Formats: sequence, structure tokens, C-alpha cells
Amino acid sequence: MSYYDIDSILTDAEKIPCTFQLDVPELGYLDNQPGQTLKTGTKILLPLWIAEMLAIANTGDIDNKSFVDFDLPSALGNDVQQALKADPRAVPLRDQSAHFYALATHMMDLSDEPQLSATLRRTFVTRAAEISLHARKVGGGVGKGKGGASEEASNIGVGGAGEEFLRGLEEWERKLFRKAHDGSKAAKEWMETVKKH
Amino acid sequence: MPMYGDLGNKLVQHAKRTQNLPHLPPYQAELVRSVAREVRDLDRDVASLLEPFQGSFDPSAEQATACTLLVNHLAIRRNKRCLLAYHRTRTDKLEELVWNGADILDLAGQPAPGPNGAAATSDANASSSLSPQEEDYVRQYSDLLAAYKGQWTDIDLTGSLEPPRDLFIDVRVLKDAGEIQTEYGAINLTKNSQFYVRQGDVERLIAQGYLQKLG
Repeated sequence: MSYYDIDSILTDAEKIPCTFQLDVPELGYLDNQPGQTLKTGTKILLPLWIAEMLAIANTGDIDNKSFVDFDLPSALGNDVQQALKADPRAVPLRDQSAHFYALATHMMDLSDEPQLSATLRRTFVTRAAEISLHARKVGGGVGKGKGGASEEASNIGVGGAGEEFLRGLEEWERKLFRKAHDGSKAAKEWMETVKKH
Repeated sequence: MPMYGDLGNKLVQHAKRTQNLPHLPPYQAELVRSVAREVRDLDRDVASLLEPFQGSFDPSAEQATACTLLVNHLAIRRNKRCLLAYHRTRTDKLEELVWNGADILDLAGQPAPGPNGAAATSDANASSSLSPQEEDYVRQYSDLLAAYKGQWTDIDLTGSLEPPRDLFIDVRVLKDAGEIQTEYGAINLTKNSQFYVRQGDVERLIAQGYLQKLG
């Protein structure tokens, strides 16, 4: 997670639901009402880069109350967790968030979620095996392009289901897929030159 | 409705796309300017919020103001990070291109190696996809690299890593490249002529598009 890391910056733009714990006259625009006071108890979606600091900042209050309380984003909500428990491979993570795992680890830094952590670990392991399977099966002539890879995936017997699965990969999984794919392709090419000589 | 940081995010999405492109898309001068303007606006807001306190601001007494200040500060910091990351992505790419032997003139003369790509998106002054500062950066970086490479006269650091199959190759000249000196004397590279030369002598010219390898 470097300061300059593009994916890390985009992860910080993911929105999470927050509840304000005080009245703020100048911040009405956050709730689409510029010029009005943002009232205590207002629920709004804030990007992580605001929400995180508002949630952990020390307000100097005696009760140690913070500016906002936050919940897990819907991408990590109960529905998604249940679906992941049922079958990790059946959930298109990309539709939840393009940076699903990065968002999840970030949220777990902010609050303790032992259940979520266990579910995600199992999700990743199951899906990683599936990803490596697809990466090996995809035809040799595939270019580096994302579109190309998933198009070629249709010839792998699993058919449409495989394509569907690859389309649902989030950013980190896509990187994994590309590495696994390039790796097996390079190994294959090397084997062929070995045979020739 | 637009929010602080939205423009910065757009810039980072540009950077994300840039990472996956073989060439460098046009510099987003307008967007960069807007983000910088946003930072100035936020700074002005902060100054006017703090003005009535005359330097004796107590955050625990003025929580609402403290919260607003924090949000403004975060937005400024966010914009700074977006701006830096955008430019860094581009300079990384430029350095890579310089190492690959790209010429400053080639780079400035882009933007469209692909038939459908950048030309459509870039505006009227499509002459260069680099900002003036970036052109300067490339020029100075090229000089640095040349000085570094100059320490070793018998090895070309930017040469190809592929072992050559043949020492000598046939090449055709695609555009005039003037006279070059080789171990076997001078060759005058005029357009459309063909030569049988040592690969090591012309590798750079092939990479730059002056020569085409035959066979």
C-alpha cells in the first residue's frame, strides 16, 4: 500500500455508510443540501478517505465520541457474506466492488470483524484455485487484454459459466489471473524450445 | 452533485488507464488545473473559517468547526495525493520509454500509434501528448541516462536482451538517418537503401524506427 499506488487510491474512494454524531453547519453539501446544517444522525455515504479520519479523529470530547459512526459497506454486508459462505465461486465480486479485498482489509483495520475475516479467507482460497484452473485452460494465443482473456475462456468446456466467473473477478484477482496465465504460457513456450534442441 | 475529490479521482482513473497502455495518452492539463484550483478554494475556506478565532482556536470547544476543518484538510490532502500519483505514473512511463530508446521528438510527436486511439480524444492541439514540464523531464532524463551509459563504452546498457541469432543482418532504411560510423567504416543511411550490417551497430536505429530488419 504505497502512497503512489493507484489501486490503493481508488480503494480509498469506495463509499461507506456513515452517521454523523454532531450538527455541522458548513457541511450540508455532503448531504446534497449546500448551505444547510448537517444534522446529528444524518446517514450519508462518504468515501473512505473522509470517513476513516472522521471516525478515528479525537474530537476532544469528554465521552470520547467521534465525529461519525460507520457501518460496513453493502459490498461486505450480511447478504454478500451469506452468499460467500454458500459458494464463493458463485458471487461476482466485481459487482460488489472493483477493489473488494482491499476494501475489506481496510474495513477490518478499522473495526474487528473475526467472522468476516474467516469468510474472506475461505473465499479467497476457493476462488484462487478456480482462477488458477481457468488461467491454465485459456488458449495459448490469448493477448494480454482483459477482454481477450475472457472471450477465449469460452472454449474451456465449462463454457459460459467460466466466462461469467472471470468477468466477476475483482482487481486483485484479475492480477492473479494474469500472472497465472502468463506464467503457464511462458512455461509452455519454454518447454517447446527445450523439445526442439 | 460533485464533491471535493471527485476531480482528483478522475485523474487517478486516467492514471489507471495509462498503466495498461503501450503509449502515453495526452496530458490532462485542464483536469490538473481544476484540481489545483480546488485545493486553493479549500485553503481559502479554511482561512476564512479560522479568521474569527484570531489564532486561538480550541477544537474541543468548537467541534462543528473542527469537523469542517478536518474535512477540508482531508480533501486538500486527497487532492495532493491524486495529483502526485497521476504525475508519478506518467514519469514512470516516460522513464521506461527513454530506457527503451524512445526519442524526445517521437514522444512529443505522438499521440496515436493505434488507429482509433488517442487522436479522437485529444483536442485541437494534438501536437504533443506531453506537458512542457514533461518534455523537459524527458530531455534531462535522457541526458542523465546518456551520461550514465557513457561510463561503459564497450557495452550498450539499453541494448536488446535477446541473444542475436546472426551477427550480421539485412536492413532497409525507412527514413534518412545520416552517416553512422561502424567498425567497417562509415555508412550513409539514405532512405530506401539496403545494407548488410552488424546487428549491434544498428539496434538502436531499428528501435527508433529508422531502419527495418529484413528476413
